[in-house]
Amino acid sequence: MKQKQFEAQHAGLLAEIGAILDGSQPDGRALPALYRRLCQCLALARQRGYSPVLADYLQQMVAECHQRLYASTPERPTTLVRWMLVDFPCRVRAEWRLLLFAGLALYGVAIAIALLIWSDTHWAYSFMEPRQLEKMTRMYQPEAHRLGRGGSQGDVQMFGHYIWNNVSICFRSFGAGFFGGIPALFIIALNGMHLGVVGAWLHLDPVTRPQFWSFVITHASFEMTGLLLAGTAGMRIGLSLLKPGRLSRGDALRTSAETMYPVLVGAALMTVTAAFIEAFWSASPSIPAAAKYAVGALCWAGVIGFFVFAGRGRQH
Amino acid sequence: MLDGRLSLTTPEGVRLLLTPAGPYLRAGAWAIDLACWGSLLIVLRLLMPDGRLGQGIFLTLLFLVYWGYPIICEVYFNGRTIGKRALGLQVVRSDGLPVGWRQSTLRNLLIVADFLPMAYVSGLLCMMFDSQFRRIGDIVAGTQVIYKEKPVQRAEPPAAAPLPLPFPLGPDQQRTLADLFEREASLPPERMAELGTIAEALTGHTGAESVERMRSYVAGYTQ
Repeated sequence: MKQKQFEAQHAGLLAEIGAILDGSQPDGRALPALYRRLCQCLALARQRGYSPVLADYLQQMVAECHQRLYASTPERPTTLVRWMLVDFPCRVRAEWRLLLFAGLALYGVAIAIALLIWSDTHWAYSFMEPRQLEKMTRMYQPEAHRLGRGGSQGDVQMFGHYIWNNVSICFRSFGAGFFGGIPALFIIALNGMHLGVVGAWLHLDPVTRPQFWSFVITHASFEMTGLLLAGTAGMRIGLSLLKPGRLSRGDALRTSAETMYPVLVGAALMTVTAAFIEAFWSASPSIPAAAKYAVGALCWAGVIGFFVFAGRGRQH
Repeated sequence: MLDGRLSLTTPEGVRLLLTPAGPYLRAGAWAIDLACWGSLLIVLRLLMPDGRLGQGIFLTLLFLVYWGYPIICEVYFNGRTIGKRALGLQVVRSDGLPVGWRQSTLRNLLIVADFLPMAYVSGLLCMMFDSQFRRIGDIVAGTQVIYKEKPVQRAEPPAAAPLPLPFPLGPDQQRTLADLFEREASLPPERMAELGTIAEALTGHTGAESVERMRSYVAGYTQ
């Protein structure tokens, strides 16, 4: 068959498909059958040596139909809820060894440095500038307008600061974890060091001690856990690069990233929650310390309980 | 064919052809995105009221724009940020379908790894050693940056009195000849005449006369 005859014979088919693709025919139910005929047209055009322009035209139409047919996914409005309530805690539990390791890097380093400073306060100057330590002490004075802030910053301003700063650190420790998990571990240990120095410094001063602990206890439950989980997810990806097991490295990376994605989303949500608490609750000096300790203890119990118990037996 | 394109076979037995985009063009798209991103932030900063409230809102928006801009663009605008749109690039999954939230988030967070140790060195090295120009984020997320195909314009066939071929031509040879006349508008007449001289073995003539001969042959076997 000559090319002209072929084109004339299939002009109707091409027009019908074109109408569905450009939206002038809203009912696309005929597309699968039309698409199969189009695929046959393309094969014939190639095999009979019709001009490349015609073959390319059909090829492009095939690509568009393929996108239209296979890219549509069913609506799954409950995916996020299921991820957060079932997949997130289950996958965190599955990575308990790595989480324990990350936890040691954070709290272990913090406790070691705190003990060092407790034995001799001068060690604090080896980790932080005296000016910074002085500023820390000023921030937690009982008469401060808001706790944990240098001057008279507003709540919304600090909320923006915490979001930008803390959630970005989460994302960075996840992304950089690709390199064997080392950068993620480094970021976590650095935060542990900072926590140890500041905690020990403010704890050893009886004026700032109650201020500091009542400030950090509530939001730390979400912030520290969020950082640990983002770092753990990054380290899992990095480890799958080092030790892919029976998969190829590319497949191992893809699989572990897919598995760790709910953990990353959960960690980001936790850090955003922590920013809310830190800006609008923790810093307020008008809330009595006892209330802060009570709410803080509840938050810690909630976070730990969630990761121990949530989603058990509902994974499939 | 050795043309650097990726060929994916679909369940219907046809091949989808994707052309991976290299580091040079992607760096250009990145620079355009950076300019858009920066000017958006300057506008936001000027719109915000002065003082503490404005700064807080600005930092929150900075966070959303910094991490969210490429993800929102890729998910809602068919895998294309403004820079990619300007340079005709597109992000797709490695099976050729549009990217979803997961792929887009992963590839845009892993840009941190691509950036290390400085100035996207890891990403560039990864693209240079990967056969499909994927950066680290693309490999982890299972995505691919490709050229967006330009729509094909179907040309009018040559208007000439049909003539039979002096000897049979195979499908590939017929295709080559038909292609020549569909591309004729983009070639200077001198070049056409040169090609006509080269085809003397087929037509028995040289120059423009040979071209007219070939046009008649093409009309003969296409119409």
